[in-house]
Amino acid sequence: MSETTQPAPDTIALAGNPNSGKTTLFNALTGEAAKVGNYSGVTVAVKTGEMFTPHGKKLRVVDLPGCYSLKAGSPDEKVAFDFLVGGEENDPAKQPKLVVCVVDASNLERHLNLTLQVIELGLPVVVALNMVDLAEKAGLRLDPQKISEELSVPVVPMQANADKGVIDLKHAIRHPFPPAADPHWKRDGEDSETAGRSRRTFIQMLCTVAARRPEQDQLTFSDKIDGELLHPVRGWIYLAVTMFVVFWAIFSFASIPMGWIESAQAWLAGRVSGMMAEGDLQSLVTDGIIGGVGSVVIFLPQIVLLFLFIGLLESSGYMARAAFLMDRVMGRVGLSGKAFLPLFSSYACAIPGVLATRTIDSAKERLVTIFIAPWMSCSARLPVYFLLVPMLLSRDEGHWVQALVLFGLYSIGTGTALIVAKVLRKKLGPDEIPSHFMLELPPYRAPQWSYILRHVCGRAWAFLRKAGTIILGLTILLWALSTYPKSTSDDPKEQLANSAMGRVGAVIEPIVKPLGFDGRVGTAILTSFAAREVFNATMAILYQVEETDDEEATRSALRDRLAAEKRADGTAMFTPLTVMSLLIFYIYALQCLPTTAVVARETGSWRWGLGQFFFMTAFAYVASLLVFQIGKLFGF
Amino acid sequence: MPTLDVRELETDSAMTLSQASVGCDFRIQIVSGPQCDRLRDLGFCESLQVRKLADGRNMICSVCGTRLAISQELGEQVKVTPL
Repeated sequence: MSETTQPAPDTIALAGNPNSGKTTLFNALTGEAAKVGNYSGVTVAVKTGEMFTPHGKKLRVVDLPGCYSLKAGSPDEKVAFDFLVGGEENDPAKQPKLVVCVVDASNLERHLNLTLQVIELGLPVVVALNMVDLAEKAGLRLDPQKISEELSVPVVPMQANADKGVIDLKHAIRHPFPPAADPHWKRDGEDSETAGRSRRTFIQMLCTVAARRPEQDQLTFSDKIDGELLHPVRGWIYLAVTMFVVFWAIFSFASIPMGWIESAQAWLAGRVSGMMAEGDLQSLVTDGIIGGVGSVVIFLPQIVLLFLFIGLLESSGYMARAAFLMDRVMGRVGLSGKAFLPLFSSYACAIPGVLATRTIDSAKERLVTIFIAPWMSCSARLPVYFLLVPMLLSRDEGHWVQALVLFGLYSIGTGTALIVAKVLRKKLGPDEIPSHFMLELPPYRAPQWSYILRHVCGRAWAFLRKAGTIILGLTILLWALSTYPKSTSDDPKEQLANSAMGRVGAVIEPIVKPLGFDGRVGTAILTSFAAREVFNATMAILYQVEETDDEEATRSALRDRLAAEKRADGTAMFTPLTVMSLLIFYIYALQCLPTTAVVARETGSWRWGLGQFFFMTAFAYVASLLVFQIGKLFGF
Repeated sequence: MPTLDVRELETDSAMTLSQASVGCDFRIQIVSGPQCDRLRDLGFCESLQVRKLADGRNMICSVCGTRLAISQELGEQVKVTPL
């Protein structure tokens, strides 16, 4: 095997302040080989990829989370620091062989601090002087040669987002690596405070000779836009409109590709059932596999759109403004605006949201944010919402009413999360070291389409892979459970009641009955504890929705089937109240095993992960119970 | 230390960034307080120029062409003099 005979490639690390363009450079260096992380915009975990030097030597490239200094103030900075010093045991063998310090050329006064600290670690450094175009636009007079001389390290001016200077950088990091520079600004035996002062004095001297600023900068384009978007009154209107447009667009634009997927699915089921003889195998393929997986894959367009919008908001710079505005709201519940980004990401998926809490300095605030993150309705709930929301409304209602209901569901989850945050934050008490809000507002930039598209494709692929593996496995299992053991009766209802699934349903029916559900809905809820999306697949199997080869979708067929379902006493099974109760359950229940695992890892204790799981499940049950019982009292 | 004493004398006319008025340019004199290291990392270093762009619960300042949002409490830890 070639891997065992070849030595492992040398590791080089990309370090730099947040918003210096590390990830853009990482993608430019590693190209298609880049492993896109599970979180867009802010890198909170170490990402790795591979690149080749101009001489064909393979290097392993590691993209570190952005940090301002190596003092490890927040968990993501600690990740970067630990990596640079060779892990917690300070093992030189684990240290990177070279560090590319990415600095924003228009902000050298601020960004060079980290570069000097990396040089002080005794590591070979190459400085990537990124975004020189912006610096020139701002009227800065840069002298890369002078910077290189003063720091004694190679300095490469570049513009990573336009692939300018990438080749020069590759030349600079070719073998042999440049030697480690002498940190001549530092005197022996300095304490950390005087060392910081020496660094600042040196940087100021360097910037006066090598990065001269024009006398006084005028208000920039970004400042003018901020004047409007961060306006105390109008700012909120823009924020509300932006959020509403995002949700509305997801609901309406996605229906077009969803129609295509539906037709393709129906066509496939028709073809397959025509080619196979009637029997269990045909039933497995058409009802179990195509119907089950199809009822989940259909939501791919919505998930793609959600990630696309989040990518757009982050890439353009608006997300930081939203965090700034939201600080006031978050402050009321004891959180800061920094919690907004993780919570907003949780609307796509709680896992990247939980990871993104690493940017929060206060440990207690971070715990609270992790705790409430799963109540931001994630994209896995969308399939369930999309199935159920139209059942609340009459069919001919326009898209905007459905979007309004959807917006309401999201608001219920978010509102409760914030109340729980307030209670929990009070219970945890104040921080030992009070932390205050500080945030960089990056200049508005045109979105980096290549990065966003790559990220969206990564997420879409992850979703499809999940549909092809876990969900496929579960749907086959569910199909088997609802088919066997067979009864002698031909009536599908009796057949289902006799099956293993029917029996499970009968056992849990008394538990879910007070919520307004029957055993089948109870079973569907039970199966969706592995992954929420499975709810639709289970319902399709349990209510025996058959594939037809016309354009009628599985989802609307299932909806028709559910609407026609009657209870034993002849009343409709799915009244608006039952649907509401079911929706409430799905807003609150934490039905995602990976989230629990990630929460346990991030908080360092299973107590938090399991505590959150049981709390949310119990909360969902009680909330759903209250909605149904109170609703019934009022005669709904 | 003597250098600090001189600075302190200089800052007789100084005010905190929280007190400073919006739209004006200032020079940072002293950054002191529990969060001073963090503020310096962010870019609020002594002798740099700063412009206050917006006020409120959190204020927006421009340092070296970058917009930074900090809370009023942090603004109290940055002493500035008008330019």
